[in-house]
Amino acid sequence: MRAVVTLVRKDLANFLRNRASVSLTFLVPIALIYIFGWVFGLNQKDTGPVGIGLGLVDASGNPAAQKLVDALRADPAFRLITTVDQPGGTPRPLTEADLRPMIHDGRFRFAVVLPKDLIRTDSIGLHLQILSDPRNEIETQMVNGLLQKAIFSNVPELLGQSLQYRAKQYLGEERFQRFNRGIAETVTTAFGGDTTKVQHEIESGGLGLREVTSANPPAPRPADPSLRRIDTPAPAAAPAPGNAVVKPGGEDFFKRLVKIDQEQVVGKDVRSPLATRLVGGWAIMFLLFAVSGASAAFFDEQNAGLFQRLLSAPVTRAQLLWSRFLYGVILGLIQLTALFIAGRVLYGIDVFGHISNLLIVCTFAAAACASFGMFIAAVTPNAQAASGLSTFLVMVMSATGGAWYPMSLMPEFMQRIGKFTVVYWSMEGFAQVLWAGSSLAGLLPILGVLAGITIGVMAISIWRLNRKAIFE
Amino acid sequence: MLSLRSITKRYGALTALDQVSLEIGPGEFFGLLGPNGAGKSTLMSLVSGLRSPDAGRVAVDGAPVSPADAASRVAIGLVPQSIALYQELSAEQNLRIFGELYGLRGALLRERIAEGLAAVQLTERRREPVKHYSGGMQRRLNLIAALLHRPKLLLCDEPTVGVDPQSRNAIFDYLTALNRAGLTIIYSTHYMEEATRLCPRIAVIDHGRIHALGTLDELLTRLPFEEEIGFPATADTAPLAAQLADAGTVLTADGRHRFQPRPDFRLSAFYQRAESLGLPPRLFTAARPTLEAVFLHLTGRNLRE
Repeated sequence: MRAVVTLVRKDLANFLRNRASVSLTFLVPIALIYIFGWVFGLNQKDTGPVGIGLGLVDASGNPAAQKLVDALRADPAFRLITTVDQPGGTPRPLTEADLRPMIHDGRFRFAVVLPKDLIRTDSIGLHLQILSDPRNEIETQMVNGLLQKAIFSNVPELLGQSLQYRAKQYLGEERFQRFNRGIAETVTTAFGGDTTKVQHEIESGGLGLREVTSANPPAPRPADPSLRRIDTPAPAAAPAPGNAVVKPGGEDFFKRLVKIDQEQVVGKDVRSPLATRLVGGWAIMFLLFAVSGASAAFFDEQNAGLFQRLLSAPVTRAQLLWSRFLYGVILGLIQLTALFIAGRVLYGIDVFGHISNLLIVCTFAAAACASFGMFIAAVTPNAQAASGLSTFLVMVMSATGGAWYPMSLMPEFMQRIGKFTVVYWSMEGFAQVLWAGSSLAGLLPILGVLAGITIGVMAISIWRLNRKAIFE
Repeated sequence: MLSLRSITKRYGALTALDQVSLEIGPGEFFGLLGPNGAGKSTLMSLVSGLRSPDAGRVAVDGAPVSPADAASRVAIGLVPQSIALYQELSAEQNLRIFGELYGLRGALLRERIAEGLAAVQLTERRREPVKHYSGGMQRRLNLIAALLHRPKLLLCDEPTVGVDPQSRNAIFDYLTALNRAGLTIIYSTHYMEEATRLCPRIAVIDHGRIHALGTLDELLTRLPFEEEIGFPATADTAPLAAQLADAGTVLTADGRHRFQPRPDFRLSAFYQRAESLGLPPRLFTAARPTLEAVFLHLTGRNLRE
């Protein structure tokens, strides 16, 4: 027993001496839990999406539609985009023709069109159009839900207009005017107010009560206890007789009234949508782990005295560093190629249809990841520390960069952080190729960012490695 | 062949080499003898162009050597203290990599690799990963890797650390043969036996300074005595050891005393004292002093400290 105690004490002493192990055991998990808390919204009261770019074109010319526009603008889930910069820099209002190319280029992934025929002429109801790039399934479902909620909650006046339009067609002008006048008189008889103003409001799609209530606001009614917000839990209640399940019918009713044309602008020809959506995030995460492992080999060479041997030959430090970088790029390229081919074989992802652009994005992504590996080697003192730091950074970058969870569901500041990661830009590149089928020209901005990350990180890494005694 | 002029190298507050000057001629087998931390490896790294001196100049065949000038290192081969080999690769693969770094290609490279492997008896196992080799085999391969490009100057930084006697002898024999063929060798060690056996000329280095330089005989003349007397360290001989303190230095190690007399002390007086204490003459052995005695005399400390 005494021997066991001594051996345990030895292990504890060894562990406590190793700062990398101690930090990996305690500090890194706590830091990760804290960061993931922000990523997954555990630190916020409202866990809904924030700042999703939403293009909006109001071609209806209907003043009542402004209410819907205002509601969307006020919703923190959306960042409403209604203008586009012209070549001179001055903005002009978006048109429907702008939306599809902009969605295709990744400027925003969702757009709402309030068309000229917003008020339907063929039947009672409204007609709207939603354009989308459903690159992320969770995000798309949430956005569709939010848009429908905003539309259904802000259309009564528009529906009223539709009703008026159909009534006018059905009754004829004279009988229609008489009908509205009759309703207006009934309202003013019951509640007071000016009959002409009430009639005008009815003709604009309202029920004529705004004019009345603005003069005599009604006392608030006590809330119906049977009503509750859908995001609050239902109170415990006695089961309905016979355990009957009551289905709300209101939604179906509204869906019949509001005709929403959904158009998938990007990715509609993708054969394996789910796999194509996921493959980029997973691929880049595994690549980062691979190049991090390669960075640890730096320390193995140092410990074995191999740098001494190599640098005593006609080899410069710069050649040594760049060869290590190039090795990382080649390794990354091979790994990404293998992963995408596996994706093709296992899930039918269309890899070969975009092979040249995919290889270009893979090369830039591999270069950015290789520079990350060099950075790890440059800022850590030994292989253990390198392993700990790289695990931490890969997980943080994967989480904040959107590899695990849609970025739009994260707080805005996390979204901004995420856009500084290799993961985000690599995923964007893969998605633009495999999902959107972008041309090389369309990929240039993403490739530029990846190249910028590579150059910046390599510059820091080489500066640090040259200052370090790693070669001595 | 090699010229070091007033070399100084510091690591922060520590002066690893202090105004070291050295001239080594072509074809020499030169020993650098000093304990751990004496500055031997730093000197080797400066000569091999891994580091730059803070002051002074290193030149091989008149051409300065520096980390910035990769071409200046072509004439040099370095056998590092550690086994600097890729353990997962075979001997052949390792040698191919190191040979190619020196610009060797094709048939010439294959020929050099075959020659090297044959010279250290590794031909039959040339395709096995190095990690399966014994320590001695790895050491031999470590040596060969520095010779593929036929350097003019070979730097051996304690190349036999942890090697079994058989492999050590094989390395010594090979180095001696190379030197006879004209290769200039600088051999750094803290084993005086190695320096004595291999190197006609030796520099004694400690605390970053060269304390003495010359052949073994020249170094021994730095000692104030010609012979030292050894006897067992027992209770019977303890009074004699105590009496001799005023006549010279008495060193005790491994159960034996070694008496190094002062120049003015006559050995006949030693034997008279021994006889008066009843100690028989067969207990005593007179021997020529070693490099270790020279080192102790010059630096005040043992080589193995």
